[in-house]
Amino acid sequence: MNEILYVILQLILVMLVAPLATGIIKKVKAFSQKRQGPPLTQMYYDLYKLLKKDTVVSETASWVYHLAPYITFVTALAASVFFPLTASLFNLSFQGDIILAVYLLALGRFFMVLAGLDTGSTFGGMGSSREMMIASLIEPALMVALFTLGLIAGSTSVSAIISANQAGSPLILNPYSLLLFSAIFIILIAETARIPVDDPSTHLELTMVHEAMLLEYSGKHLALMEMAAAVKQLIFITILANFFLPLESFLTLSNPFLAFFIGLALYLIKLIAVSLLIAAAEICTVKLRFFSVPNLAAISFALAFLGFMQFFVIGR
Amino acid sequence: METFLDLLSVSILISAFILTATKRINTYIKTFQFQSLLLVVATFALGVYNLLTEGYFDILLLSVVIFILKVIYIPRLLHNTYTKVEYKVEKDFFINIPSSVLICAALVILTYYSLQSIDSLLSGHIKFYLVNSLSVVLIGLFFMITRKKAIGQIVGFLVLENGMFTTAMLSAHGMPVIVDLGILVDLLTAVMIMGMLVFKINERFDSINIDRLRNLRG
Repeated sequence: MNEILYVILQLILVMLVAPLATGIIKKVKAFSQKRQGPPLTQMYYDLYKLLKKDTVVSETASWVYHLAPYITFVTALAASVFFPLTASLFNLSFQGDIILAVYLLALGRFFMVLAGLDTGSTFGGMGSSREMMIASLIEPALMVALFTLGLIAGSTSVSAIISANQAGSPLILNPYSLLLFSAIFIILIAETARIPVDDPSTHLELTMVHEAMLLEYSGKHLALMEMAAAVKQLIFITILANFFLPLESFLTLSNPFLAFFIGLALYLIKLIAVSLLIAAAEICTVKLRFFSVPNLAAISFALAFLGFMQFFVIGR
Repeated sequence: METFLDLLSVSILISAFILTATKRINTYIKTFQFQSLLLVVATFALGVYNLLTEGYFDILLLSVVIFILKVIYIPRLLHNTYTKVEYKVEKDFFINIPSSVLICAALVILTYYSLQSIDSLLSGHIKFYLVNSLSVVLIGLFFMITRKKAIGQIVGFLVLENGMFTTAMLSAHGMPVIVDLGILVDLLTAVMIMGMLVFKINERFDSINIDRLRNLRG
């Protein structure tokens, strides 16, 4: 019973919060360019409008093209269930394994790449091949970082990692978690197609990666794909926020509702903080040449690996 | 205090990694400046700590000297050389960037294993500082080997010296102040002479690529 309640609550929260994170990042970027920028709720309007529109499908598209948006969306949502947003949700959550969550996301990406290839358009093929290259470069770093987190907690289950974080000293103050934080931050940027790797705001350029794969989609399918991307971004923000920034450790209220709402407010503050960090990274850097992406991936891998080494040297 | 120094030693190591991953000479100088600033913060903290517990103020004095020399003067000197020389970006390396970052990660492991033999003599934190700062020394040396341009090699030399200074400062709370000052003056003259040499090399060979030094010039 508790599990069902948890899943429903978590899914509703994720769907509500995910477009907000995108909105915050866009707003901060707009302010840095002395523009007003779209309102924070812009992505909700976009999704609502897309859901009302007709879907146009190419005649040459096969079943993969029709199925891919649903699989991508569902796998992203399923992976998001593993990462509880607030501390009081975490009390209800089940023992989710972090490796399964990562490969659920990989399954979604696999189908997105296939759909990009499916219609035979030039842009789709280019986007797919680039996406796979970036994915294969980033995955070792992600796995090393997550395994190190698991090593610190003594288990690869998400709840064990979060409780190890909440029980001990603030995890961010340890030298190895500083390294892991920066490694996962670079991974976030690469995974969610942010500026040094891919430009999310352009829609007609030869350099685009994520948008190139979605170029053929329209209507409901496009809404699902965009939502999946937002949920994936929220998952990585949640990893950073809840694994490294333990604000809830002092929260021991007896009233569950009050605890839930204060926890949610704290989560939103952390979300804004991480979004500001992402926006700052976008403002301060320019898009890398595609063949410089391996450099970024190498740094991210080296940081994750150093975190692993430091953990061995200094101990718990 | 120890957590703070832990964080600083890790940040110094990260800045050395960032240095190996960059290829703009401007960024080299900025990264070196940032690393020196971290070093100044560490020295300053140790200096205040030493003044309060034992009453010596020589480390505090040293931190001021390092700030003037490594954060302000030497970067400016390098920047002057950089503006006089035409080459802004290094395009060819002996080893490309991803592999050199991975090799640097391997150097950290090497340091860790070479310290295994004296493991019993060291307490946890000292060993941690030693691993980080000796890795910075090795990375600086490696940086000198991989870059073909003369300014890159000067920065490598400076990072190597930063690493040695960090080793002394964090693991033993500094050498006698006169030794440190002597090393700093040595460093300053070395950088000034090297800066002038780079300028001369550029004037003579129209390039600061050290490969060209093998060519005969009538």
